[in-house]
Amino acid sequence: MKSLFGRRSAIVSVVIAAALILSGCSKSVNSSAGGASGDCGSYAIAMHAWGGYTASASVVAEVAKKELGCTITQTTLDEGPTTYDAMEAGTIDVVIEDWGGGRWKDWTDRGSVVEAGLNGNVGLIGMYVAPWMAAKYPDITDSKNLNKYAALFKTADSGGKGAWFEGPAGYTTIGEKMVSANKLNFKVIFSGSEAALVDGFTKAEANKTAFIGYAWQPWTLFAKIPNLESGHVHFPANDWTDPAKASGLTDYPATPLVKLISKKLNDANDSFTTLVKNFKWTNEDQNGVAADIEGGMTPEAAAQKWIDAHADVVKTWLGK
Amino acid sequence: MKVRKSYLLLGSITIWILLGRLLHGKNTLQIDTYENTSFTSYVGKKALELRGNRTGSPAFIYFFNPIRGVIDGFVQIIRNTIAVPAPNSIIPVIGWLGVVAIIAFAVFATSQWKTALLSVSLLLGCGALGMWQFTMDSIAMTLAAVLLSLAIGIPLGIWAGLSDRVLKILTPFLDLAQILPTLVYMAPIALVFMIGAASATIATMIYSIPIAIRITSHAIRNLNQSPVEAAESMGSTQKQTLTKVQIPMAKQMIVLGINQTVMAAVSFVVVAALIGAPGLGKPVISALIIRNVGQGFVAGFAVVFLAILMDRSTSAAARRQNSFIPPTEKQIKFKRMTLIGTGILAIVGVFLSRTMLWAAVWPKEITIAPQVERITNDVTAWVLENLTIFTVGFKDFISYSILNPLESQLSASPWYVTVAMIVALALIIGGTRTAILAFVLAMAIVLSGLWYEAMLTLTQTIVGCLLTMIIGIALGIWTGRNDRAERILRPFLDAGQTLPAFVYLVPMLGLFGPTRFTAIATGIVYAIPVVVKIVCEGIRAVPHSLVEAATAAGSTTRQIITKVQLPASKKTILLATNQGLIYVLAVVVIGGFVGAGGLGYLVIVGNSKPELQGKGLIAGAAILLLGVIFDRIMQAGARRSS
Repeated sequence: MKSLFGRRSAIVSVVIAAALILSGCSKSVNSSAGGASGDCGSYAIAMHAWGGYTASASVVAEVAKKELGCTITQTTLDEGPTTYDAMEAGTIDVVIEDWGGGRWKDWTDRGSVVEAGLNGNVGLIGMYVAPWMAAKYPDITDSKNLNKYAALFKTADSGGKGAWFEGPAGYTTIGEKMVSANKLNFKVIFSGSEAALVDGFTKAEANKTAFIGYAWQPWTLFAKIPNLESGHVHFPANDWTDPAKASGLTDYPATPLVKLISKKLNDANDSFTTLVKNFKWTNEDQNGVAADIEGGMTPEAAAQKWIDAHADVVKTWLGK
Repeated sequence: MKVRKSYLLLGSITIWILLGRLLHGKNTLQIDTYENTSFTSYVGKKALELRGNRTGSPAFIYFFNPIRGVIDGFVQIIRNTIAVPAPNSIIPVIGWLGVVAIIAFAVFATSQWKTALLSVSLLLGCGALGMWQFTMDSIAMTLAAVLLSLAIGIPLGIWAGLSDRVLKILTPFLDLAQILPTLVYMAPIALVFMIGAASATIATMIYSIPIAIRITSHAIRNLNQSPVEAAESMGSTQKQTLTKVQIPMAKQMIVLGINQTVMAAVSFVVVAALIGAPGLGKPVISALIIRNVGQGFVAGFAVVFLAILMDRSTSAAARRQNSFIPPTEKQIKFKRMTLIGTGILAIVGVFLSRTMLWAAVWPKEITIAPQVERITNDVTAWVLENLTIFTVGFKDFISYSILNPLESQLSASPWYVTVAMIVALALIIGGTRTAILAFVLAMAIVLSGLWYEAMLTLTQTIVGCLLTMIIGIALGIWTGRNDRAERILRPFLDAGQTLPAFVYLVPMLGLFGPTRFTAIATGIVYAIPVVVKIVCEGIRAVPHSLVEAATAAGSTTRQIITKVQLPASKKTILLATNQGLIYVLAVVVIGGFVGAGGLGYLVIVGNSKPELQGKGLIAGAAILLLGVIFDRIMQAGARRSS
């Protein structure tokens, strides 16, 4: 047994060594690979969770790969600080859509993250009831009447009050402040993910159960539940000029969405920098691509479909 | 004595409930979720400074950043070899055929052709699921983490095996690492090492090194001492005894340790994606985000395949060392010839995978992913369509009957009442030392400012553990008494232990909606396999003579179970409960993603909102404190009951 093991290890090592030497020296398919064409290098785009983001990022990635010959990696990671750190470390170069309203300040102050302008999408956040409720109780969309219906929204989890489904963790959320500023008899439930909200709205609309939850536009759910907008609850607008004045927040403001790039990409100033800086499209554009992806197309194919249909827009991004 | 103990328990629980009712809503320490205490905002400020320092401070320039660089580079080399093309290449160094050929050969060389065949099928299965590159990334990550873990763990384990002092110093850390829910320490690691392969590798290592250390030291300590003494009496130096006697004798056990280390690393594959690990975790997490159950399962199956592959290939190697029948000359020759033959085949495979595109990049046409995805989506849709009424009914029943009363008792009682209760429990079950420890840890949670959230998480963990134990003990008894049942359930238990919790989080969300119960149900599914296995072993370990005596005395099956088998395996059941608690806790905090709130949500929100970062880090620490309190009380209880 001992000798067998000895011989055996010898054979094994010889084979592994041969395989390694082979992989080191033999001519491979790689030898015929040319470098990327054009002046564009290799960059990484952050891929954030939500459908709209995937749409924007995929379109930028496809244009960069097909038109500019860049090498693009798409890296899934959390939005916010996580991503800014990665940009500082040089592993992420582009955030194509950030809702954060200046949360990147620490990083831009250090110069490791650079603002690259608006992407044309406007983020609208609000609280929505399931549309069937708006049809049945027309006055429910005025926040003053919400308390009248609070009992309808009671669940096993809401402690006798109405259940108020808050947005995903990373998103701008002020639910607790809205509830107290508007004096509502609701308990904030932290739904934690987009999936949880999609689940809540879809089921509520299908089964005619009560639901009030956080929603934002652009968002593909608006394509799936076409009259979702009718469930938009209107709160008195708040004075957003002083975010530090925490207690008085009554509703969400409209947020123009921002592009961020790494210092490396900003300094490179190549064709990809131009593309990212020029990239701009509308909420409808994004919703269309996102709906295709949601419908089962791969992000690449959905992006390509939009690119093919909008050659003129793409041309302006490329600065041609 | 025993009767008095249960009276004491009952008495203190009654007092706790009465006091809780009396002082309902006072001193609950509840603060708004998005509100910081001065402590959490201080920690948050420090964390932000730390982020800023990463490019400037010497600790980072000379210590953390080089570590990150080296590990990143190491992972990148392995990835470029088997998983992803290096820059300016279009294929990895070795394509899919080459990888299959080498793994098949290596497994064949270390065990038998059956295992090799299984490995090949599993690898091809991953490819057919459309997950080739993700699988290779996961293998690369696992390989890097395991190699580094073993490089640190085995020497430390040998040292701890030889020196009692080292073992004594290491033990608390090893215990802690096993309790630590994975979600908890990823944020601090990412803070220092940033998001990416290095952080993911280090997080995996924290999880897998303790196992390597434990088993290695155990192997050295439990050797038959006579050969060691013989060597020493013949004048061997300590070094000679170690390298010529102890290590060779402990080899088989150490290989088993390697197997366990590998499995720990594999079980980390999905969670690691949360901090940027390349691999199978990515499709699993993105399936959660876009709520595509089918995609989640396709990737989940690949994870299971990978786990089986890793388990079988490494455990077969461990078993092989165990053969006592010396092979005949003919067998040796035959094996040598086949080895050389398959070796040549492997080399040809590698060669082809470098020169032919079809052997380098997995052909997209060969896929069963759409079918698997469709079937799972159809099944899920059917289940949701037809079972939601029952599941929602069940959820509401549990919520109103157990969850809400317990939550109100725990979270709406004054903190000092509940702390007193925890200390009393620790005193009765574990004794003075446990009680002091419980008091210190509970007070630490109070001072952290997150007492209220901790009580929410505690509620969910207790309810989850309760349900887990009811189901787990029932199944454990069944499998413990019935070999057929054990054989039928075994594959499900194995799969349940390797299938990442994130995969069934989405279906659970569909069944129960964004609620606390979704988190609890996910925790139950995750914890049941381990509880069933432990209880089953406990029942089997009950001496046959006891059972036979009871049977002869005319006991019914029910009497045998309740009067003989359960009491005799009391200690095992306590240990199983402890495991159940820790497992449920680890997953309940992931429930923050699906509406469960509590500490888990604070950890998650702390990762994405800079102003809440401090609160998230503290919440992670509070989860750990909860886990340690559970663990110490239960362990002490198990020790005392033996």
